Amino acid sequence: MEIPGGEQQTPAVVAVQGLVRTYGPKVVLNKLHLRIRKGEFVALLGESGCGKTTLLRVLAGLDPIQGGTIQTSGTLAVVFQEHRLLPWENLWRNVSLGLRCGPAKEKAAKALEEVGLGDRLDDWPRNLSGGQAQRVAIARALVQEPALLLLDEPFASLDALTRIKMHKLLLSLIAAHKPGVLLVTHDVLESIVLADRILIMRDGCIVKEYVVNDYADKRTVQVDVFEALGFAGGGSPY
Amino acid sequence: MKKFLFSAPLKERTLFLLSWASPVIIVFLWETYCRFGLIGPEILPPPSTVLLAAITLTKNGALLPDLGVSLTRAATGWCIGASIGFLLGLIVGFSSIAKAVLDRSIQMLRAVPFLALLPLVIVWFGVGEGQKIFLVALGVSFPVYINTTLGIRQLDPKLLEMGSTQRLTTYETIRRIIFPGALPSILMGVRYSLATAWLALVIAETIGASAGIGFLALDAREFLQTDVIVLTIVIYAVIGVCADAVARFLERRLLAWHPNYAPKGC
Repeated sequence: MEIPGGEQQTPAVVAVQGLVRTYGPKVVLNKLHLRIRKGEFVALLGESGCGKTTLLRVLAGLDPIQGGTIQTSGTLAVVFQEHRLLPWENLWRNVSLGLRCGPAKEKAAKALEEVGLGDRLDDWPRNLSGGQAQRVAIARALVQEPALLLLDEPFASLDALTRIKMHKLLLSLIAAHKPGVLLVTHDVLESIVLADRILIMRDGCIVKEYVVNDYADKRTVQVDVFEALGFAGGGSPY
Repeated sequence: MKKFLFSAPLKERTLFLLSWASPVIIVFLWETYCRFGLIGPEILPPPSTVLLAAITLTKNGALLPDLGVSLTRAATGWCIGASIGFLLGLIVGFSSIAKAVLDRSIQMLRAVPFLALLPLVIVWFGVGEGQKIFLVALGVSFPVYINTTLGIRQLDPKLLEMGSTQRLTTYETIRRIIFPGALPSILMGVRYSLATAWLALVIAETIGASAGIGFLALDAREFLQTDVIVLTIVIYAVIGVCADAVARFLERRLLAWHPNYAPKGC
C-alpha cells in the first residue's frame, strides 16, 4: 500500500484499514484509516461523540469491530482517564500486574522510581492524590515496555498545575521508552505540547492531519487546529 | 484542638468501660434477686450456681466432650454449606447462563425459612448426625451464596477492562481482581453464616441428640436442672460471640486495604 510522505521507512506499530464500528444503527467508526509509526506521538482531537474514545477502545481490544483490519506489532498498554488501580494491592503489586518475565518487584520499583514514587512501593492507592495515582497508572503501562501506548484523556481530571507537571513527566518518559503513542484528548494545547502529529476526527473518520514540526511557530498550528474544530477566525475560543 | 486530641483516648476508654458496665450490673442484679429469693431457683438459678455447674461438669468430664461434639457438628456443617454456597455463588456470579438456570430456584428455596424444613429433614435423616449437619449446611449455604454472587456482580467493570488490557489470564483475573474485589461481601456472608450455623445447631440438637450441648440441655430438662440449662444457653451465647469475633478478625486482616476496615492512623 502506498502511503505518501515516506512513512514506510519506519515500521508501523499499528496500521488500521477501513475500520468500521457500528452501535445499533449508528456508525461510530466509518472506514477509518490510521497508521502510527514506531516512536511517534499522535494526538486525536475531536468533539465529544466523534468516535475517538471508541477508536482507542477498539485498538485496546475492548470493543469489537464490524469491518476493517487492525495490524499491531508488539505489546500495547493503556492509561485510562481514571487511574483504575486495584485498591487491595499496594503500589508495586499494582504496577507489576500482568508482568510475567523477570523479577516483577524490581521492575515495578524501577518504574515507580521513574514516575517519582520510588519511596511508596508498599503504600496503598487510597493514600495517593489524583496526580500520583495517575503516575502509578502510567508506570503500570510503561513497565510492560509497550510498542504502542494508548492514552484516553489521562490528565482530564487533574488540576491545571498538576497537568503541566504530568506533561513534562510524560515527555521525558516517552523519550526514554520510545513507544508509539495515541493520545485521545479534548485539550488542543495539550495535543500541541505533546504530539508530533495531530489528527482531527469527525463522524467516525479522520478528516485532518497536522504535523506539529512543520510549523515554525506553534501558535500557527494552534490557529489551524482550532479552525479545524470549528472555531474559525481565531486562535483561541476565548 | 489540643484539648480534643488529649481527651480523645480518655473518652474512648470511658465509653468502653461504660459499655461493659450494664452487663455487669445486670448479672449483679440477677445474683442479688436470686439470693434474696425474689426469683426461685427452679425459674432461674443465680449466676454463681451456673458457674458452679460449669465447674462441676468440667471436672466430672461431662461438659468438654459434649462441647467438642457440638463444635465438630457446627464446623462440619459450616464447611460443607459454605463450600456449596461459595461454589454456586462463583458459578452464578461468573456465568449469566448459570445465573439463568440456577438463581431463580435458589432464591425460591431461600424464601423458605430453612428451619421449616426440619420435619422433612428428620424424615430423611432421622435424628442422627446427618440431620444436624444437613441443617447447619443448609442454613449456611444461602448467606454465603448470596453474598458471593453479590460481591462478584458488584465488581467495577472498569477494573476488569484494565485487567484485560494488562493481558491477565483468567486465573490471574480471578485471583487478583475478582476474588479480592468480592471479598468484603463474601466475608459479610461468612459472618452472617456463622450466626446461622449456630442457630441451626441449637434447633437440631434440641430435637434429639445423644451428645452435644443440646443433649446436655435436654438431659437437664428431664431432671429440672435449671443451672445446667442456663449454662448451655450461656455456652451457646459465648461461642456465638467468639465466632463473630473470628469473622471480624478475618475482616480486619484481609481487608486492611479497605477504608472502612483500615487500622486507625494509617
